[in-house]
Amino acid sequence: MSAVKVKFDKYRFLELLSPVLGFLASIVVLMIIVVAVGESPVKALVAIYKFSLSSSAKIATIFSMSIPLFFAGIAVAFAFQAGVFNIGVEGQYFFGGLVGALAGIYFHLPPLIHIPVVVLFSMLGGALWALIPAILKVTKNVHEVISTIMFNSIALALVNYLVNDPLSGLGKGKSLEPQTAKIQSTALFHKINHVFSYIGWKIPDYVYLDYSLIVAIIMGFIVWFVLFRMRYGFEIRAVGTSLDVAGYAGMKVKNLQLAAFLISGALGGLIGLQEIFAIRGYYTYGIASGLGFDGIAIALIGKNSPLGVVFASILFAFLKQAGYGLQFYTAVPNSAIYVIKGLMILFIVVINEITAKYIRALRKKEAF
Amino acid sequence: MGVSTLIFFLVKGLEISAPIAFAALGAVFSERSGVVNIALEGIMIVTSFTIVWASMAFHSIWMGLFFAIVAGALVALIHAVVTITFKVDQIVSGVAINIFAFGLARFLSQKVFGQETQTPTNPYLFPQVLGINSVALWLIPIALIAWFVLYRTVFGLRLRTVGENPEAGDTLGLNVYALRYAGVVISGALCGLSAATLFPSQWISGMTAGRGYIALAAMIFGRWDPIGAVLASLLFGYADTFRIMFETKIPIPGQFVQMFPYILAVVVLAGMVGKARAPAADGKPYEKGEG
Amino acid sequence: MPVPLLEMKNITKRFPGVLANDHVNFNLFAGEVHALVGENGAGKTTLMKILYGLYSPDEGEIYVKGKRSVIKKPREAIHYGIGMVHQHFMLVPPFSVLENIVIGEETHRAGILDMDAPAERVKKIMEDNSLFVDLSAKVEDIPVGLQQRVEILKILYRGAEILVFDEPTAVLTPQEVKELFKTFREMKKQGKGIIFISHKLDEVLEIADRITVIRRGKIIKTLNIEEATKPLIAELMVGKPVLLEVERPTVKMGDVVLEVRDLVMKSPRGYDVLSGVSFEVRAGEIYGIAGVEGNGQTELIEAIAGEVKLESGDILLNGESILGWDVRRRREAGISHIPEDRHRYGLLLPYTLAENLTLGMHYKEPFVNRFQVINRKKIREFARAVIRKYDIRTPSELTPAHALSGGNQQKVIVARELSAEPRLLLAAQPTRGVDIGATEFIHNQLMVAKKEGRAVLLVSADLDEIMSLSDRIGVMFKGRIIKEFTREKAVKEEIGFYMMGEKE
Repeated sequence: MSAVKVKFDKYRFLELLSPVLGFLASIVVLMIIVVAVGESPVKALVAIYKFSLSSSAKIATIFSMSIPLFFAGIAVAFAFQAGVFNIGVEGQYFFGGLVGALAGIYFHLPPLIHIPVVVLFSMLGGALWALIPAILKVTKNVHEVISTIMFNSIALALVNYLVNDPLSGLGKGKSLEPQTAKIQSTALFHKINHVFSYIGWKIPDYVYLDYSLIVAIIMGFIVWFVLFRMRYGFEIRAVGTSLDVAGYAGMKVKNLQLAAFLISGALGGLIGLQEIFAIRGYYTYGIASGLGFDGIAIALIGKNSPLGVVFASILFAFLKQAGYGLQFYTAVPNSAIYVIKGLMILFIVVINEITAKYIRALRKKEAF
Repeated sequence: MGVSTLIFFLVKGLEISAPIAFAALGAVFSERSGVVNIALEGIMIVTSFTIVWASMAFHSIWMGLFFAIVAGALVALIHAVVTITFKVDQIVSGVAINIFAFGLARFLSQKVFGQETQTPTNPYLFPQVLGINSVALWLIPIALIAWFVLYRTVFGLRLRTVGENPEAGDTLGLNVYALRYAGVVISGALCGLSAATLFPSQWISGMTAGRGYIALAAMIFGRWDPIGAVLASLLFGYADTFRIMFETKIPIPGQFVQMFPYILAVVVLAGMVGKARAPAADGKPYEKGEG
Repeated sequence: MPVPLLEMKNITKRFPGVLANDHVNFNLFAGEVHALVGENGAGKTTLMKILYGLYSPDEGEIYVKGKRSVIKKPREAIHYGIGMVHQHFMLVPPFSVLENIVIGEETHRAGILDMDAPAERVKKIMEDNSLFVDLSAKVEDIPVGLQQRVEILKILYRGAEILVFDEPTAVLTPQEVKELFKTFREMKKQGKGIIFISHKLDEVLEIADRITVIRRGKIIKTLNIEEATKPLIAELMVGKPVLLEVERPTVKMGDVVLEVRDLVMKSPRGYDVLSGVSFEVRAGEIYGIAGVEGNGQTELIEAIAGEVKLESGDILLNGESILGWDVRRRREAGISHIPEDRHRYGLLLPYTLAENLTLGMHYKEPFVNRFQVINRKKIREFARAVIRKYDIRTPSELTPAHALSGGNQQKVIVARELSAEPRLLLAAQPTRGVDIGATEFIHNQLMVAKKEGRAVLLVSADLDEIMSLSDRIGVMFKGRIIKEFTREKAVKEEIGFYMMGEKE
């Protein structure tokens, strides 16, 4: 992936082909599942449309849902750029979200400062949770896939304990959903739905387009700029392309991997922003799970670039809604969507390999 | 702690270690042929569902076992096709299959039993020996057979060759792809035995609890050797057994006890002294004619 | 006229963008050594891979002993008595010699390995051909010359009568080459046919009975040994008269730039890889390190180029010790490095030429501004200038590196390392796997570097290259420089003895 501007030529077209084809292939599989369940594909498509796309509010919901997915995707993608498989995003956002929430609960600051502080602490928490697997990787060569997955499970148990007892806002064992105390109003993320009415888009109140959207846009831009326009980003991507070449060229490989891992963890810590600070106003370990693995899929589909991750996260939000729509209107269960997600990744990466091989051959011809 | 408790500990420990050990043995075959198989967790999910489903459908636990082994082999086959024939990154494929398998088991459970997160109880069970699932006792002979196959047979020699230097194997006339397929499919099939020793009386979503990954840690700790992998699995299994037997007597909150196997895996991997060498071509797709 | 042992008729093979073999006709008689020479990329390796079943031809047929043979995979080639000793050994390092010989042709009972019978057979072959190796040793523990013997035993074990040797002398000392040619003569007497691929024209003239030249996929001519001369072959290979000797400028030697003192390095297994290396290189001097691969040359370069763990000793650049300096600091101090393995270390293949040409300097102004933001325009300008100066063949500076030919890729690396204007240039196997045209170019560039007053440390397994370029030669054996020669006093035979350690 080159930062130098390449005109939109046949190579770019071919590169974009795989996500599109992969998506279409999975839709075909989805329809097969639909038929296998005994429903008609047309009914299924109508159900999907009705539930996810039939009104501007519904489309806004998709955008809203894509925000946490975007953070998940960009976190995994950043690590991938350095060749690091950060599968621990799940644990990083559970832990990071808790740390951020604590900053929201126990600090007393004016909103202008409190909100950035809360964002910062969420990132810190996420990075902290990535610290041990990162250090183990660069010092002892422990494969990060195994260590981060282990840390996911450890995180879940840890926050479970912390929220149940020491940090419980409702008293130990007193609630069906153990949670922390409420976050200060100065740290809460308010909705910005009204902003969109200036461009003629009326979004109802129950849709959450809040400050986390702003954070997402800012982070997305920063990530893109750092990776593709700054020297450190170039070095990180070089390390991801070839450790050996990067080392030969004088780059500090281990430091770069460590940094990428920690930044990835930090970005992962932001996944919970919307749910904790906009929707709930407190932290519970009952926050949405599984986003970490979605992040992996989103990063792959988005080819590890911020722009790609944007599209992929919107796609995934759409898929999620589609799943609910199917479950609501038809007999197709929600778990079918997991099946589709997994297959979609497989289709996309397989098609990716095929087109990459084809592109390589074309390029070679051109150079002679 | 009396003698009877000790015996119980030893015997029960074997049963608890077995699911990890069988998966770890499978992982050895896959990785020795050069293919990293992160999908073991997902394969285990599918096999543990299949064994319940098939036992009840065919009214026999042995049919359940048969279909679990077949199901494991089939899911592994997907991994094999994607990574060997299409040369996709092995970790990516493994993660994708895990997502897929997670959904597949739930989906099938919903369709067959009407409940997404668990199945009804399976009344067909394996005969018990010494108070535990007798299939767990198969671990010892199977581990020895695995060792023998890997080091003393033509197949084993060729399998190890393509994991170390597939190009050399190719020029000697070995079918690199076929041997790697075999390694991967074997790892899937052995997960069928994992399912048989885990909890064949019911499938509950999440019951595998990361054992597929712990099996990989065991394989690494056992330095890619079948006996080593089994011994490492026993370490994990007995540690877990200790926890189960004595957790009520330990004054630590339940959640920390829950973390224990995962922390142990990390500690074990971090503390490994001396460079354990994976097979030289492990993790790299083989492209014929690229030499 | 006897039936040839092997006949390849009308062989044609196309790859995307390249006609690798163009209606090639080639034959081999029993009891002869037939040399196949050509530049890299000329098509000789492709032809041999077709013979060995690794590729299948688009057109043409192969006849073994007069019978039409279709060879779709190596197993079938082996079946027809074709054996190939590859340039890069096809061995499994952690396995024993015997295991390596036996893989794919195992003796077994119902799948269970029997290693005793094969061991007996191999012992007999070793005696018949005077090729001895310890069967139980692990291949990774034996020296390169012996590893080659294992490769030969492998093909003899399978009853090869047509033996193909791909650049076998690249890793051997002159004495070992003599041993190898002795083995060739033995095999000739036994009626075997040998195809000898090499670009070392002196050796080809010494051992071959016939010489076939291939260029751009076409057979240009087949010569008998009587009519062959070095300039003639070189001209046929390239298509124009070739300068076989590089023009050497007279340069006055400057101060000592690099001093290596008693360097000791241990391998992970505990034995000495460098056992007290000492030498100096001056400004304007090319110091060539001769030696069989595996005597510490690679590790020596690694120690000078970057941070490695050393037991004792010192490395001084312009009088200052650079021990403990990381790669970046060494580069900034003026050390440039042409890596031995260009595919692994030299280029970021998916990245553009522009990015590859600034690799290692990418963090310096003007390529980045003071906020560390990349200045893409400046990078492109620089790249275009370098491409022009070094005549690198590419559609543009934005072409990804993987699309270039091997020779052009090496040119990129050489261009980049020289553009950094180093005080000390480390050149490790700079023309390995590179065609004659690019080789000529690279040798000229090394001379330019010399003229510009740079110190050049050249490591090459090609003794001819060392002798043609170096002002002084150091022979490296078992991790030490055991003897130095000046240009005037250098005699190939004598250097060869030292390379073998025979005159310590």
